[in-house]
Amino acid sequence: MARTALRASGALFALALALSATPTFAQDIVLGASVQLTGPVANTGRYYKDAYDFAIDKINAAGGVKVGNTKRKLALKLYDNQSDVNLSVRQYTQLVSQDKVNLLLGPFASNFALADSAVSEKYRVPMVQGGGASDQIFSRKFKYIFGTLAPASNYFASTIDMLKQLEPAPKSVALLYADDAFDVSVAQGTRPLLQEAGLKIAIDARYSSNASDFNSLLSQIKSVNADVVLVAGHETEILNFVRQAKSLAVAPKMYSFTVGVPSEDFRKALGKDADYAFGMTAWLPNANLKDRWFGDAAQFATAYKAKYGYDPDYHAASGVADVEAVAQAIENAGSVEPQKVRDALAKLNFPSLYGTIAFAANGQIDLPQVVIQVQGDKLVAVYGGKGFIVKPNYPMPAWNAR
Amino acid sequence: MSAFRIGLAIVAVAALAALPLYGSDVVIQFGINTLLLAVLAQGWNIIGGYAGYASFGNSAFYGLGSYGVGIAMVQWGLPFPVGMIFGVVLAVVFAFCLGIPVLRLRGHYFAIATLALAQVMSAIVSNVSLAGQNIGLVLPPLNNDRLFYELSLGLLVIATLTIFWLTRSRFGFGLIAIRENEEGAAVMGVNTTLYKVLAFALSGVFTALAGGIHAYWITFLDPESAFDISLNVKMIIMAVFGGPGTVFGPVVGAFALSAVSEVLSSEATNVAGLFFGVVVVAAVVLMPRGIADVIRRFRTSGWHYFIENLRAHRI
Amino acid sequence: MDLLAQVLINGVLLGGLYAVMALGLALVWGVLNIVNLAHGAFIMLGAYLAWHLYTYLGIDPFLGLPLTAIVMFCVGYALQRGLLNLIVRAPMFNTLLITFGLEVVLTYLAQLAFSADFRTINPPYAGNSIALGPLVVPLARLMAFGVAAALTVGMWLFLLRTTLGRAIRATAQNLVAARLYGVAPRHLYAVTFGIGIGLAGAAGSLYGTVSQINPYIGATLTAKCFAIAIIGGLDNPLGVLVGGLVLGIIESLTVLYIGATYDDVASFGVLVLVLIVRPTGLLGKTA
Repeated sequence: MARTALRASGALFALALALSATPTFAQDIVLGASVQLTGPVANTGRYYKDAYDFAIDKINAAGGVKVGNTKRKLALKLYDNQSDVNLSVRQYTQLVSQDKVNLLLGPFASNFALADSAVSEKYRVPMVQGGGASDQIFSRKFKYIFGTLAPASNYFASTIDMLKQLEPAPKSVALLYADDAFDVSVAQGTRPLLQEAGLKIAIDARYSSNASDFNSLLSQIKSVNADVVLVAGHETEILNFVRQAKSLAVAPKMYSFTVGVPSEDFRKALGKDADYAFGMTAWLPNANLKDRWFGDAAQFATAYKAKYGYDPDYHAASGVADVEAVAQAIENAGSVEPQKVRDALAKLNFPSLYGTIAFAANGQIDLPQVVIQVQGDKLVAVYGGKGFIVKPNYPMPAWNAR
Repeated sequence: MSAFRIGLAIVAVAALAALPLYGSDVVIQFGINTLLLAVLAQGWNIIGGYAGYASFGNSAFYGLGSYGVGIAMVQWGLPFPVGMIFGVVLAVVFAFCLGIPVLRLRGHYFAIATLALAQVMSAIVSNVSLAGQNIGLVLPPLNNDRLFYELSLGLLVIATLTIFWLTRSRFGFGLIAIRENEEGAAVMGVNTTLYKVLAFALSGVFTALAGGIHAYWITFLDPESAFDISLNVKMIIMAVFGGPGTVFGPVVGAFALSAVSEVLSSEATNVAGLFFGVVVVAAVVLMPRGIADVIRRFRTSGWHYFIENLRAHRI
Repeated sequence: MDLLAQVLINGVLLGGLYAVMALGLALVWGVLNIVNLAHGAFIMLGAYLAWHLYTYLGIDPFLGLPLTAIVMFCVGYALQRGLLNLIVRAPMFNTLLITFGLEVVLTYLAQLAFSADFRTINPPYAGNSIALGPLVVPLARLMAFGVAAALTVGMWLFLLRTTLGRAIRATAQNLVAARLYGVAPRHLYAVTFGIGIGLAGAAGSLYGTVSQINPYIGATLTAKCFAIAIIGGLDNPLGVLVGGLVLGIIESLTVLYIGATYDDVASFGVLVLVLIVRPTGLLGKTA
């Protein structure tokens, strides 16, 4: 009995020595996120998971993030919120209080970001999100929420600038918008811009999110002969809108959509019917957007497509920008402590494949939108900060004349 | 109820009340969620389990309670308790105005009518600017999970005590009579319309209170999450799983199913939804009368219980 | 005036599409007393099936309608025989719960199999329209309306005039008596449910040509179909056509005159009204 005890304690002693002699590894920095991988908005939500994974892998491959004198790798803890806002809020709370992640990355969609930012503010852990553009998210004087999507109210600004310079000049506009946070913000910002530009708002219609039937609205657009149709909505609605416009032979001189046009998936679903559609994006895979980890935006796009099989659009680029912003802020602060990282995020200003990452005082980035158009089977940048880049296909011909 | 059972219940409540002292933040969150679901299940139990009118639209009351608190606190700057009372008032008015015509329907028709009512409420609220339309409202944050936990627990205790009172009161007997044979009950002098509407309103009160607590806790509400349709089915499944028409059945059902669902949502998020659906299907086929019935009959029938259920219900 | 006429045409054609979607639900509910909360999910599956037939085999969605319907019939038969027959005599809301569970499972499996990408069935004529003076009639919706009318009349004749139809109605009305007459109830229930799901599949095929398909359209479609079935009345397949037309026209007029965010208020409001005032529906016999 005594001999066994002696042997056991000897073994334990040896084990303790062995363990204490093991060199301690630098702990991974864990970023937490709750993203829509299933459920009705999953078709865009999943871009964020891919983007976060891609960026973290690239940064780790380059050695990781420098915190003071040590280099630490990034890790991602991701939950699927099944497109349920309440679950998303609970998951962010779990990430902070149980999983004890260091910092937070955001979900897709403004209504999610609106709800989830309450968690980051409550627990004082900074969240960098690239999925919510609604001005409402940033108007509550929260200190711990940062966004890499340009303000919703500005989405149509460059498009309206372009309208002023088109021949024949458009006179009347039909403004359609869904009733969720993002699209209402877009409409609120667009109205004064239209009035300044001297364009008459012939139809100003709010419709239910997830509406599938636009026939009544399209008939009204036709009867007032609107020259321009601006739609702020979700991809499913805009898809239905375009198809029903064709079947009702409604062809305004031009139409522009806040989402859909930049994404490959959307253009493929519409096929040839996508032609002539205008949209906007704050990001294009331009080789002159230089990046510390990816080289430049064009190289990023090629590598991304090679890995995931689809072209990245601005959602993916925004997701990558979030991770880069966090990494850069940690390095600038020399620490992973939430308060210090938060202050570093507020002062960030560095070039990346997404453009210059710098947050305004309210936490939102400000980037101009470039007007894009589907021309044939290509997506072309048409109008930017310096005027026309390429001639737009305007006016749109009647459907049976294509 | 034997003294033993009462003692057991008191110990259980005391243990639950003390949870915030030794539980982690996440356990408290899970607890709040589960307790609120249990309240919903008990609320449904009143109209569905005891009166026999399976309402598929209690989410309407939940939403009204949530918006009551939301509008009172955000738009009018009133304190939380006033918001809760406002929510309850909305729920009771709704139950009386719409309950009377709708409670004339039976069976499927009643279920669909209540479901439609919930949808209509959601659609109407998304057009009301006082309620923030479809964007919803953001409530002032209150970082005190323990308070919400104790509130939810208190609400569940009150709901369960109410059900217990039901089993001993004239009102409760009237409801059971309505469930078993409505014409007979009317003939015997039970004022069926009044009793049904009262049951509906009572069910609505508890549901609205739960909605109010939830809204303040999550600090955010919009029509889709406040009038969440899947809540309807969840509360019914929990009540049915545990045993409808019993005092503790819905509580047991809520606790059991919540645990399963939460574990899945945090460990295997990919299959959480799928498992929930499979569990529902299996439960309805194998144990349609709930866990309470399983426990009661298992001693006599053993595994044959499930086969007996199948034989009784299939064609 | 032109605008009103156009909106009315839109409403009528929308009503036809609605009628096709709700026909299967009304049949199963009215005859078998099974309330299928997963009905929309079956429409979604039918749509995906039609999409695959069109994309990989080049079969036109309208011509391939019978094929889609037959495959979905087999799915429905198997489901009823294997699963739903087990709870036919259980308390009423058990069917609601079990079909809800089915809906969750089917949606999940669809998302797993087909991913969340949108699909559309885009035959070359899908966007065409017929011009009637200043009015425009979308071709695909017109054809869907034709299919709806044909199927509705077909179902009505089937239930009233054929032996199988009468056997189904007999079994639904009195199980014991039907058995005494040699009817095999399990088989008949399965056949009826199969027909209901076959109709859902056909509706899905049409839906895919006029709208877009993703795994999550099931729930909203089910809700709409309920409204249509009840408004029209469950006793008579022709009632579904009436219900669809009423709902389609009311929704289109609501968007025109009240506002595009009130469409759900209108549809569910009418449903509640019908339930309160005349629960057996517009074409149902007063109880």
